Amino acid sequence: MKEERPYQQCSLSVMDNIADPDIRFDEKGICNYYYEYKKAAAGLRTGEEGWKELESLAAGIKDAGKGLPYDCIMGLSGGVDSTYVAWLAKKLGLRPLAVHFDNGWNSELAVMNIENIISRLGFDLYTYVIDWNEFRDLQLAYLRASVVDIEAITDHAIFATLYRLAGEKKIRYFLNGTNVQTENTLPRSWIHPKSDHVNIKAIHKVYGTLPLRTFPFSNAKVKRYYQQVMGVRSISPINYVDYDKQQVKQLIQKELGWRDYGGKHYESIWTRFYQGYILPEKFKIDKRKAHLSDLIFGGQITKGEALEELARPIYDPKQFKIDYEFVLKKLGLTAAEFDHIMVTPPRSHYDFDYEKPIDERYPVLKPIKSIYRTIFPVK
Amino acid sequence: MSRVRIIPVLLLRDGGLYKTVRFGKENYVGDPINTVKIFNEKEADELVLLDFHASLEKREPDFSKIAEIAGEAFMPMAYGGGITRLDQARKVFDGGFEKVVLNSVLFNNLSILEEIGNIYGAQSVVGSIDVKKNLFGKQRVYSVSGTRKTDLDPVEWAKTLEGAGAGEIFLNSVDRDGTWEGYDIPLIRAVSEAVKVPVIACGGAANVADLEKAVREGGASAVAAGSLFVYQRKGMGVLVNFPAQKIKI
Amino acid sequence: MLAIINYGLGNLTSIRNMCRRIGVDAEITADPAVIGSADRLILPGVGHFRKGMENLHGSGLKLLLDRLVLQEKRPILGICLGAQLMTGHSEEGDTDGLGWVDADTVRFRDWDLNGLKVPHMGWREIRITGENGITGENPGTPPMNPLWVGLPEEPRFYFVHSYHFEFQQPAEVTATALYGYEFACAFRKSNIYGTQFHPEKSHKFGMKVLENFAAL
Repeated sequence: MKEERPYQQCSLSVMDNIADPDIRFDEKGICNYYYEYKKAAAGLRTGEEGWKELESLAAGIKDAGKGLPYDCIMGLSGGVDSTYVAWLAKKLGLRPLAVHFDNGWNSELAVMNIENIISRLGFDLYTYVIDWNEFRDLQLAYLRASVVDIEAITDHAIFATLYRLAGEKKIRYFLNGTNVQTENTLPRSWIHPKSDHVNIKAIHKVYGTLPLRTFPFSNAKVKRYYQQVMGVRSISPINYVDYDKQQVKQLIQKELGWRDYGGKHYESIWTRFYQGYILPEKFKIDKRKAHLSDLIFGGQITKGEALEELARPIYDPKQFKIDYEFVLKKLGLTAAEFDHIMVTPPRSHYDFDYEKPIDERYPVLKPIKSIYRTIFPVK
Repeated sequence: MSRVRIIPVLLLRDGGLYKTVRFGKENYVGDPINTVKIFNEKEADELVLLDFHASLEKREPDFSKIAEIAGEAFMPMAYGGGITRLDQARKVFDGGFEKVVLNSVLFNNLSILEEIGNIYGAQSVVGSIDVKKNLFGKQRVYSVSGTRKTDLDPVEWAKTLEGAGAGEIFLNSVDRDGTWEGYDIPLIRAVSEAVKVPVIACGGAANVADLEKAVREGGASAVAAGSLFVYQRKGMGVLVNFPAQKIKI
Repeated sequence: MLAIINYGLGNLTSIRNMCRRIGVDAEITADPAVIGSADRLILPGVGHFRKGMENLHGSGLKLLLDRLVLQEKRPILGICLGAQLMTGHSEEGDTDGLGWVDADTVRFRDWDLNGLKVPHMGWREIRITGENGITGENPGTPPMNPLWVGLPEEPRFYFVHSYHFEFQQPAEVTATALYGYEFACAFRKSNIYGTQFHPEKSHKFGMKVLENFAAL
């Protein structure tokens, strides 16, 4: 019997203990995410110092890429973060290969924004188009498995594709849009490691119907190989600047013709449906809380403003109706089937097989591991 | 001032969209439902959806799938691929398409043009002509997804189709398909001058200037393209696009 | 509820798809009981005028519609052939129509088209006109045709036809279009509306027209 905890919200932010078994509050009622944010933020060097460091990193990137068609690789989704990274890359004089990942859910606005970014910045675009039939089968498998992180499929495919391309084109640097200032806080129970291909295959084995012939898989070993043997490094340029989202939006609107979606991650119809309907209704997770809390921790908004934002409906009812029909049509689900999925209780990703460190899978290797780790420390 | 129709052409196979080069070398382009949704939001003038292996595989259309696709378009949609009988055409129209595109069936049965036209109107029947240079360099009509050659001259065949009741001619250059080398203007002009019905030119467009050329120099009534609207640029990644500029004549 | 009248001709599915997209409850039906209970009617149509009239007579729908539209003043929107059927007579098949509006349906005058081809097929901007087309800014003037309220700038619609309306009374004409020469492309007489173009195939412009019609 799970003990029901009384509702508690962080005194500083809007993180609470609904759907988050890992949250902790101290005697002041402040949640652990605050302290984690502070720690991560403290490690950042931004402003003038941060820019100098970025420039120095950029110099290293250009050096490593001399004579090659591209010196770095970056994902482009059409969202604010990746667009900003593209702009920064141009400013730093880098020659990135922009990679767009098409999982069949692109909004027209995303496609338009990407077109503008690419043409205005003069970058080359590589698109990986996932086989829709396979991807749909995976999405359906995840929906039926009732696990929380349905986006892990897309995230994994992006991760696998970027590493493969980097290897093919001999690119040693990844630019990503990860940033502490708006994305640090994320309860563990809301996601699953995106490198875990074992989990994806396990879930698909139980609930999938089509063989996965073209879906790009990778694994942590491959990633470590690229990092340790090939020296591939991942850089988050946004962590080196003071990230004021409003200002950045205005900048990319003005200089790149970027148009606002009206919601975080709304460049993908699936993501807006997942975050706006499936997560809150089935899993009781409102991702806005995490994002808004980071903005509070960073002093960009007040808790009052965050609460106001949370009070607004997470989904515009008219848009929801259109999206609902579209999603069901694309996935080939009847309303009854979808309703059934929505009321099935959530299951943990760990109910299915998952990627374990090799010594956990084979305990006899435990003593060797410490020697191995000395030679190849985890980055 | 007339506004010329600019028409993306989408090739459907096994529920997925593909793009070809000279009717071969198929490259996966994505999910048709989402792609049509994007073209709809970009306010494309019209769309042509072709199940381009249907005749080759002797299949009929996948009626429910294409109806799903049509449901995302609030502009005119034409469908072609595997239609050989009136009842199939009816199912296609009922699914939400305004026009049917006929090709392979016409080599055996020209009367189907009038059969359909008498009920749905001639403007709802499009005669499609695939043209390729034969071994001697002469342009000839090819059937069944460009695999079977005939001895027919494209201009004569176009006149035949018009006479038999086609409301429009969809003229495809197999040699230019997917090459980004520009339209075959002489071919387009020869056919446009020979028939009174509108001619839609397709095959080889590399940019908006090419689209204009097909109209001003070739006399096409409408211009269609595949690669131009699904790739960001020649040799670059898939990115659905539609020109903001209009062609006015 | 909006009834899309199924008399055997027309893009019924497309009209219903657009209605659903804009949140309007619409049903395709040939059932006189359902049509009788609907508060809005759409008479679609693509094809031959004579066939259209034959179907309307043969199914008994003509009598039903005469009553609903002329006597009970039910709002009805005719689209393309559907609108043409509301006129008195058509050159296509030399057939009489429903005669609800004071107009005939005539073929495009080839000799006036300067080489343009028939059928007229494609997107065309419309010009809002007529007594009913005034914006209503001046006091005392009749209000704008409710179907045009809120229409995006430079409204354009998809046309595909070889015949067009010819009105004796310009007052009933609410929009014209230019193809070789200017021709009437939309009309209104009291509760009877007609468009030569296809709103269900005209993107956001068509959506606005259907939205407005449903909201009458």
